[in-house]
Amino acid sequence: MAYQRVAIVGAGITKFVRRAQETGKELAFQAAKMALDSCGLTMKDIECVSLGTAPDAFDGVHMKGEYLADGSGGWRKPYMRHFVGGGTGVFAPIHGWFHVASGMFDTCLVVCSEKMSSCHPHPQGAFKTIFDHTTEQPLNPTLIWIFALEMNRYMQTYGITKEEIALVSVKNKKNAMDHPSAQLPMEITVEDVLNSEVLAWPVNRLDISPASDGAAAIVLASEHVAKRITDKPVWIDGVGWNLDTAYWATRDLAYPRYVEKAARMAYEMAGIKEPQKEIEIAEPYDPFDYKELHHMEGLLLADRGKAVEMLLDGKTQRDGDRPMCPSGGALGVGNPIAATGLMKVIEIFLQLRGEAGKRQVPGNPRCGLAQAWGDLMQVGTVVVLRR
Amino acid sequence: MGLTERTNRNVDLTYWEGEIPVNYVYTYGLGLEAFFRALKEQGKFLASRCEDCGVTYLPARVFCERCLGKLETTFAVPGTGKVYAYTVVHRNVDESPKEEPVVLALVDMDGTDCRFVHYLTGVEPGEVKVGMAVKPVLKAKKDRKGGIEDIVGFAPA
Repeated sequence: MAYQRVAIVGAGITKFVRRAQETGKELAFQAAKMALDSCGLTMKDIECVSLGTAPDAFDGVHMKGEYLADGSGGWRKPYMRHFVGGGTGVFAPIHGWFHVASGMFDTCLVVCSEKMSSCHPHPQGAFKTIFDHTTEQPLNPTLIWIFALEMNRYMQTYGITKEEIALVSVKNKKNAMDHPSAQLPMEITVEDVLNSEVLAWPVNRLDISPASDGAAAIVLASEHVAKRITDKPVWIDGVGWNLDTAYWATRDLAYPRYVEKAARMAYEMAGIKEPQKEIEIAEPYDPFDYKELHHMEGLLLADRGKAVEMLLDGKTQRDGDRPMCPSGGALGVGNPIAATGLMKVIEIFLQLRGEAGKRQVPGNPRCGLAQAWGDLMQVGTVVVLRR
Repeated sequence: MGLTERTNRNVDLTYWEGEIPVNYVYTYGLGLEAFFRALKEQGKFLASRCEDCGVTYLPARVFCERCLGKLETTFAVPGTGKVYAYTVVHRNVDESPKEEPVVLALVDMDGTDCRFVHYLTGVEPGEVKVGMAVKPVLKAKKDRKGGIEDIVGFAPA
């Protein structure tokens, strides 16, 4: 397949907070402006704009793509919104990649913005109608319910304990202490996680990422343009996405097959044969602590049921062999849905450039991966980045 | 049921009732908060300007949508303007008839590159002309709450 090679050349992230005074479009502006400034470009240099944002019901703004256009630099540009639920943030660079890889454009500004705090009493209310209105909604499902079922099945299948899974939350919230955007950076213990309130067993409060307001943005450029902008382009060498059945209850909950298919698509494009050797650093999506382990397995970064061993051996710590969520992840930095996924992409971008500051992992990694997951826990989105 | 038949009452088919159980608390944002605070407390219309693009925004914004430049200062404009287009509304959202027709207009705001959509007051529908000069009619200060309804409408100047 012939396409232009595409690089990330700039990035920006706002603070992630529980309730921002800014509107969603003002948050988008802040992130977009930071991304442009980081690579010395202006809107005159940007040929098209891609926007990622999760359900309209969060912000209470129907057609949120149009609403957020001005803050995202969409004024009189080829502008398009994409949306795959929680997977949106990592679909964002993929959507931008189409625009540049196709040869239609040489630059693309990619923005993700989310304002979940408008939604009262809680964004869970908006999630209610993602379930089938006839067979599921009358039971009053929440997302936490279905993740509790999935976590239980995952624990049962491989004999993993809540104590072990809690270590992911401990790790990521601690990693977030070095992230300037972080909403929930903290030093906690496994006991703290186990003693936090039970929401739907086996899920406790500290197993879960928070609802957040925030935005993130990146600038993409084709190969010949990227080399004029920066000495340190980070290449999008593989992209993949995949959707499983909407009948989530009948899916294999212990293993995310759709994530594997998305990862294999990205690996094939990037020429990766042995992901456990070649992917040196990753940001798997971690809205719940068990999901980091679950996703590591779907991404083929750990054998089935064995991600927990890498965790217990310290391999997934920031200074371990295979750092996972060195940013602090959704659990620590916060979870403004679409912006979270792009924050993860930006973390790998900064790590590969050696610009992650106090979060920098050792060993000068050359190849990393970011992944998100969403819709009715059925979509996997993956990008493989290389310097 | 054939494709040419029409179900006129949507409860004629078997149905479930449902709702999306949320309501919303919106923030003004940095730009509109400054605008509505000035309107409520001083009766002023605050604008902001991007010198690079030569565009004056009303209500004030904190960024320019054309260049994404940061707009850091605000200034007051008169709040007067000219009718750009208008319509006479006879029906409510639920299609029930209004007691009196309401004139709704786009007003080119003087000294800015923006328009307001708002009611025209103190003028009969038949007397409205495109291009006519109008001025804002504000509620009394004690009744202003910091929202678009602090402006009653625009009346002939």
